[in-house]
Amino acid sequence: MKVYRVAYLGNDGEAAMGLETALKGDGFQFMRAGGDYQGMEKAAEFNADVILWDKDNLPADAAFPLEEIRDAGLTRQAVVSVVRSNDLEGAIKSLAGGANDFIYKPVKEDPLPRVIAALNTGQKQRRIDWCNRVIEDTNDQVKGILATLTDPAYIVSPEYQILWMNRAAEEIFGEGQRGGACHHIFYDRTEPCEVCAKSKGAARWRATLKNGKSYRFISAVVRNSKGEVEKLAVGTDITPDQEVSKIHKTFIANVSHDLRTPLAAIDQYVNILLEGLGGELTEDQRDYIDVIRRSSFRLHNLIENLIDANKVLSGDFKLKMEVASIQDILDIVLGRLQSQAEDKGLTLQVQVAEGLQPVYADKSRIAQVIANLAGNSIKFTEQGMMQIRAGFMPRDEGRVIVSVEDTGIGIPKEDLGKIFDLFYRVEKDKVYVEEGAGLGLAISREIIRAHGGTLWAESMEGMGSAFHFSIPAYKGQAVIR
Amino acid sequence: MTDGADTTANQRTILVADDDKDLVMALSIRLRAAGYDVISAHDGDEAFELASKNKPDLIILDVRMPAGGGFTSIDRMKHSLNTRNIPVIFLTAFDDEDMREEGRKLGAVGFFRKPFDDSEFMEAIAGVMDRQG
Repeated sequence: MKVYRVAYLGNDGEAAMGLETALKGDGFQFMRAGGDYQGMEKAAEFNADVILWDKDNLPADAAFPLEEIRDAGLTRQAVVSVVRSNDLEGAIKSLAGGANDFIYKPVKEDPLPRVIAALNTGQKQRRIDWCNRVIEDTNDQVKGILATLTDPAYIVSPEYQILWMNRAAEEIFGEGQRGGACHHIFYDRTEPCEVCAKSKGAARWRATLKNGKSYRFISAVVRNSKGEVEKLAVGTDITPDQEVSKIHKTFIANVSHDLRTPLAAIDQYVNILLEGLGGELTEDQRDYIDVIRRSSFRLHNLIENLIDANKVLSGDFKLKMEVASIQDILDIVLGRLQSQAEDKGLTLQVQVAEGLQPVYADKSRIAQVIANLAGNSIKFTEQGMMQIRAGFMPRDEGRVIVSVEDTGIGIPKEDLGKIFDLFYRVEKDKVYVEEGAGLGLAISREIIRAHGGTLWAESMEGMGSAFHFSIPAYKGQAVIR
Repeated sequence: MTDGADTTANQRTILVADDDKDLVMALSIRLRAAGYDVISAHDGDEAFELASKNKPDLIILDVRMPAGGGFTSIDRMKHSLNTRNIPVIFLTAFDDEDMREEGRKLGAVGFFRKPFDDSEFMEAIAGVMDRQG
């Protein structure tokens, strides 16, 4: 059984004797020392669990010397003050100064319950102190890490008062800003920003700071060792990203412009020649010019596809959403697909389930996906048929599924997972397909994703392929075509 | 016939302004073949000058040109009494919805992206001429 140590700090021999007699019988180790700083140090050496501090040797109005006691190395011990039985004021003062309890002298009552209660309080206090130390240490570590960041980080109180800033933040806002209101110091505002007004907790926002750079901020709620809630915010400099994105956009716009410009001239001169405005043409000349026309057309398509792929894959495209039926969407592309299929001697079947729910979608983008999938089917099918089917799936509050199936050459198993990758083309000796840059399926998947949908493929080599996509059905009232 | 009228009174004049001289020449050949009189400019200043001097029936303006692009030119034309009523069709190889919107706001009657569909382009021109009566 653990033996607890009690130290009496004071000069009242009678009181000390009374306490020692009462406690020793209960198995405590007891020591006496003076009420001065030396006595406190002795008690610390003795490794006391409880301090009995007799205030007799101090002036009546002296404050309870808790700080001195802690300084002397008695950092977490419970302290019980010993006061004269008529000195209620002294007892209250010592409690106000941080004593855990008090005992009257001369000792008439058994001091044991008081000492045990103080011990208990001391243990609790030790646990709390330990937790607080862990919190403080952790906070210090976090601040240590944040201090080294090259991006700004700061901590503010719930009253929007700046409590701490790292070096990077000080470089932007200047030193000595602690205590100021964050919205004022950071953004020259008189009122708190919307982000803080809306959310007391974790948040994300973007802001341009006084150094002219753009930052993406995230904030989290943290607690200090006193249990007070604080908000920690860390910014990431996104200026380079934004600049790269701007340069990229300008570059693409200029390149597209410069690629299209000569095509316009080629088209015009081809038309001049074909219309005979440059003189009569022989049959051969006409054929050659027709090759120029077709090549220019293909080049034009390729350029537009590349530009479109760049837009879609970099997320730089807007969907023009509207309520539309799948039939509406199919009508945009069916004419062209039918004639392409007929040119190859293929049958194209279209089946749309009766009463099929409409979708909320960008019609031309979904039509683009269907045209791409069906175009691939026609390209890779030499004989037989292909089919476009549209139906309803009750999954996830209702989805519309569109399938494009063919009896073509199919896709080898090892390629099936890669066909949606950018620039991927299935290399096959037996089939030479001159068109296609490996963009269509990558673009299609992004378009379907942007609609909250899924695009996937099934295939058996030599038997045919099936591509399916599903997008959410429109939940509002159906529109009448 | 009154004084000042000439024999080409019924012939419509189109000003084609584009810094791509090959394209300007091609359009001139084709528009002349379609019965229009064509004058041409290769930058914004020249386009404005020729428009003020010749008062064409239609102006085809490239958006990006030296010395004031198409938008600057149309702005100047719309602020000049001489030229404010001449319809303008824009041509550009840029693919930009905002640009199209900007052109519309500035009072253009058409907007074509290079390379453009030839028959649609010719139809648009004929349409503008018809509306002018």
